[in-house]
Amino acid sequence: MKEKLYTLQEAVSSFINDGDVVAVGGVGRNRSPMALVREIVRQGKKDLHIVGREKGMDFDMLIGAGCVRKVSFALVSLEEFGLAMNFRRKAQTGEIELDEHACNSVITSIRAAAMGLPFLPLRGMLGSDVFRVSKSLTEIKCPFTGEPLAAVKAIKPDVTIIHAHQADKFGNVRIQGSPFEDILKAWAAEKTIVTVEEIIDHEEIRNNTHLTTIPHIYITAVIHQPKGAWPASCDRYYDSDREEVKTYAQAIKTPEGFQEYLDRRVLNRRD
Amino acid sequence: MADYTVAELMAVCLAREIKDRDRVLQGLYSPLPIMACLLAKNFHAPNMVHINTADVIDPEPTEVPFSTAGPALQERAVAYLPLWQTFDLAQQGKLDLIFLGAAQVDKYGNTNLSVIGPYEKPKVRLPGGAASAHLCAIMDAVIWIPRHNARALVEKVDFITGQGYLTGGKAREGAGIPKGGPRKVVTNLCIMDFEPETKAMRLVSIHPGVALEEVKENTGFELIVPDKVETTEPPNKEELEFMRQIDPKGVRELEFH
Repeated sequence: MKEKLYTLQEAVSSFINDGDVVAVGGVGRNRSPMALVREIVRQGKKDLHIVGREKGMDFDMLIGAGCVRKVSFALVSLEEFGLAMNFRRKAQTGEIELDEHACNSVITSIRAAAMGLPFLPLRGMLGSDVFRVSKSLTEIKCPFTGEPLAAVKAIKPDVTIIHAHQADKFGNVRIQGSPFEDILKAWAAEKTIVTVEEIIDHEEIRNNTHLTTIPHIYITAVIHQPKGAWPASCDRYYDSDREEVKTYAQAIKTPEGFQEYLDRRVLNRRD
Repeated sequence: MADYTVAELMAVCLAREIKDRDRVLQGLYSPLPIMACLLAKNFHAPNMVHINTADVIDPEPTEVPFSTAGPALQERAVAYLPLWQTFDLAQQGKLDLIFLGAAQVDKYGNTNLSVIGPYEKPKVRLPGGAASAHLCAIMDAVIWIPRHNARALVEKVDFITGQGYLTGGKAREGAGIPKGGPRKVVTNLCIMDFEPETKAMRLVSIHPGVALEEVKENTGFELIVPDKVETTEPPNKEELEFMRQIDPKGVRELEFH
């Protein structure tokens, strides 16, 4: 096993390239890898294709900061704080390409990649305009029964970024709560960068095999980043910082407000 | 004056759609469906199975939280259940009901959470339909609309994110999605279902204090009005006490401000 401890700056500059397909962990504002997202913004990465199911501030910030070319998603929203305005503005002007999905079609596209397959079938989707306009979905017949099904193209992430609770220095990771699709995303990706609340001793991993959720073979870089999901929640450690999300939701109402937020909270700050 | 809010009335209407032993998926940012699941479990459907986007099964939250995928909705749950496994259950036909919000719903129960205006050059880009394009094709759904008006209840949605009965009649069968479909639409004014032959939306009951004319004026299509229209049964004292106790912050009112 190889030691994989990096700083946030090193990991993002070494393992994320302009134009990469980047799967982003977490759901809504829960266990979102926000420290990694802010570092991607600081390093000015460009033309990323970001992938996730139900996303919030993470996607909106990357889009607003000009890091994104294409978005594969089922929903982008700030929940009770309203609309993800950067997403809305750039979708309306055509500055970002949208690959709109249902939750399960985007998840299944990642599952396909994790299984080393070019596509997977799924039920549903037919009859929806999401299906009709999609370049990622098509109708197929079951080769055995002739039943109509949807097929979804695999999305193979160049990099997956996630935030987890604990890992050892070799990248044996523990997610101690809702896994969301983070494990699938790590399985599917060429490289996975994980920030963790705590670095734990390798012997602790050895003595509690049942607690490891992602073994080291899927992990490229481990970063010790307490509060790395902030202002998203990290189950069992902290809840989301609603005041900060509210501040963000106010700021993004105008491009100028968003730029001011970025300057103050991201660009002139280190995680 | 009624001693309950319209949010409380709607929560109870949604709860009544849950039968004992139903497996119900509650999605992201769904304050009323959370309340409906908790009400059903506490009163008439103690064996219902509550699955949510916080990736757990059968939580027992002490208080309704703001974020509907957050840690507070995992409290005392029996297990983590990743959403992709819940979708696997749905594909097996082992999930009974979802609640669905929408910016627009049309007379055949198609829902739109994607765009207002043309897709490629939208007037308004909406958040996206989350699970709907997948689940609405394969299972029963109940739609909730906090603001019943002619912009929300339209003749034809600008974009079908979630499949209703498409163009009505047997259109779902023709599209290869014979199972399920929207069962009810619950709004701040009334409850509607779908006429079995045409699959067009039909009035079932009007909430106390609402006039039939008000419903018609605020509906952007010709609603089927049967001879007999009931008055919606309001929440009872026990239901109200339960809601106020488990949701002291008023999360259930979020969509009505």
